Amino acid sequence: MASELTAPVETAALAAEVEGLLDSAEPEGIYRDTRECGGGLLLAALLLISPPTPRAPKTDAR
Amino acid sequence: MTAGPAAQGAAPPSPPPGAAHPDAELLDDIVAGALRWLEAIRPCFRLPPDAATDADPNTTLKPLGELAELAHVMQTLHPLPQVRAAAAELFAFAWKETRGGELFAELVRGEPVATYPVELYGVFARAGLRNPAAEELIAATTSLVRWRVAREDHTRTLGVLNAERRIGLPEHTGFDRVLALTGLGLRPEPWALDLKAAYGLTHDVFHTADWGRSPGRLPAPLADYLRLWLPAWTETWTEERLWDLVGEFLAVTALLPGAPYDPAAWRRLAAARGADGALPERGDPPPGDAPDGERFTACYHSTLVAAFAATLARSRPPQPQSPAQSDRAAPRTTAHGGRPAGSPDPGGAAAEGPGNTLRGPADPRLPLPESEATP
Amino acid sequence: MLAEQAQENSSLSTVVADVANGVALALDGEGGSYALSALLAQDDAVALAAVRVLGADVLAPYALGAPPGGGPDEQVVRKALAAYPPGADASEVSVWSYRGLVEASRAFLPAGGDWPDTPQAGAAWLQTDPWPRLTHRASQLAALALPGLAPALAAGLAARTEDLARGFVRAVRRRDWLQAAGAGRWLARVPDVPQSLGLDAGLVYVRRMSGGDPRVALHAAAARRFHLRGPR
Repeated sequence: MASELTAPVETAALAAEVEGLLDSAEPEGIYRDTRECGGGLLLAALLLISPPTPRAPKTDAR
Repeated sequence: MTAGPAAQGAAPPSPPPGAAHPDAELLDDIVAGALRWLEAIRPCFRLPPDAATDADPNTTLKPLGELAELAHVMQTLHPLPQVRAAAAELFAFAWKETRGGELFAELVRGEPVATYPVELYGVFARAGLRNPAAEELIAATTSLVRWRVAREDHTRTLGVLNAERRIGLPEHTGFDRVLALTGLGLRPEPWALDLKAAYGLTHDVFHTADWGRSPGRLPAPLADYLRLWLPAWTETWTEERLWDLVGEFLAVTALLPGAPYDPAAWRRLAAARGADGALPERGDPPPGDAPDGERFTACYHSTLVAAFAATLARSRPPQPQSPAQSDRAAPRTTAHGGRPAGSPDPGGAAAEGPGNTLRGPADPRLPLPESEATP
Repeated sequence: MLAEQAQENSSLSTVVADVANGVALALDGEGGSYALSALLAQDDAVALAAVRVLGADVLAPYALGAPPGGGPDEQVVRKALAAYPPGADASEVSVWSYRGLVEASRAFLPAGGDWPDTPQAGAAWLQTDPWPRLTHRASQLAALALPGLAPALAAGLAARTEDLARGFVRAVRRRDWLQAAGAGRWLARVPDVPQSLGLDAGLVYVRRMSGGDPRVALHAAAARRFHLRGPR
């Protein structure tokens, strides 16, 4: 087993990696919603006091 | 133009003071901040002269309708008289904007098969504010077979049915049958809920429970479903910082008998507000120097929802389940909400943990000023 | 140095994925008879690290009642345990996972005498963690959901089934498929998982949505083989 000769250095680095994989941080949540009905709200779908407000891309509107 | 029973809506009997809410300070701050901001931005709710013809109803009638619906809940259910008075003023303002309901006659004449004029009129009719001309027209259009043709969106149909109840019209189809077809009634996999379905689900609850006034109307299996999964939805949409939806989930939680109060979730909602008391619909508040119109669009909906949710929470103080668990009943400030709800925890072994939550009252009934809206 | 580390990183992840894939295939009943030592391309430090990362799951196929692993498997596991013991500052997850591998070795490898002692692992979090963190940790320890291992851990999690179910919902909504699969595997063990969670459909969904992540596949396969939940 040739690999065992390099073991001390390699193993130290790997041990840290093992720890990292075992106790991994939670990945950032990926939230993505359907593009269906995302943009053009038809008048027929006008929802008064009802589900979605017209949420045009107003946050970046300016 | 206003019919007799109008006074009924203007001066509802106060709900009994009841037990103080352990988180009253925060909840009252949310309502007070929202009312201050709404009062200041009130001119933006004014209807333009072409509200019944060319104006975009999404930016004119919808905001005014929401103001009326939610202000009336505050006016009716909030335990503090000064809040009820301020909300009553906003509600009266909204009725005035409709010119004592004449607007609805114009809207129905212009769009006889549209449901939104009826839905909107129902908000006022429930409070006893009536307009005979609008009502005659509505009686004519809603008695058509055309009115009974199924609509695309079952949630919306629930809104129409609730309006029919409020106005005193016969229900055009069975409420329970429609509810069973919705994203709430079908009890879909809770992890498959997306944004659109989430709004649908909260509104299924609002229409069924008449915006918190009749929580007992929610069928028990649906209430159980909501109690189980609301913490997970509140959490993920808080992470997403979609504050209007978080507010709607908190409102549903607040009206649900026996659902635990989650102080941490309320704190995160409160922290999302701007210095002016407004809650942005998503993300950060608009810059302080943004023009009124922009701040209005970014915040009016979510700010109304926050005040509505805080009113429902405040009107139904949670009660510790039993004396043995009463030591849990202090608001906690850990980062995440949600008690280990189903955890068998008879000995209270986990009481120090995240389990600290407050139970809602066992009695689902709210002190209703009037038994039903149906005249 | 950085580049080296990155390469190392990816190579460990790759080996972990390869081994997980082999275990998942074995649990799915494909790939013929199982032997851990046959899965490892070589018996080097990276392979041993991968064994330590996957923990008890490297022996999962033996828990199905197949003939226990032989001497070469025992050698590999012993080396992995020796090379990567939890240090003084190791996380509780690391300690639990190490413990799980020791327990699985005792249970599923031929009686070979002296395995390392099982270290004490902190368990207070089972009661004190808010449900999102509880779920994340439980998922990291999903290999210990194998039958018979760590009964205290299993009991602690079984007492918080609804919280774990909420965590499953949160993980799927975040598209954190690995966390969802791990949590779903624990949930598959308990009889009182809420009906409306839709666990079976959820495990199928997570496995498909993960795009073939072998570690996700491993959890889903384990849920199916040991607890009859999920993909049929």
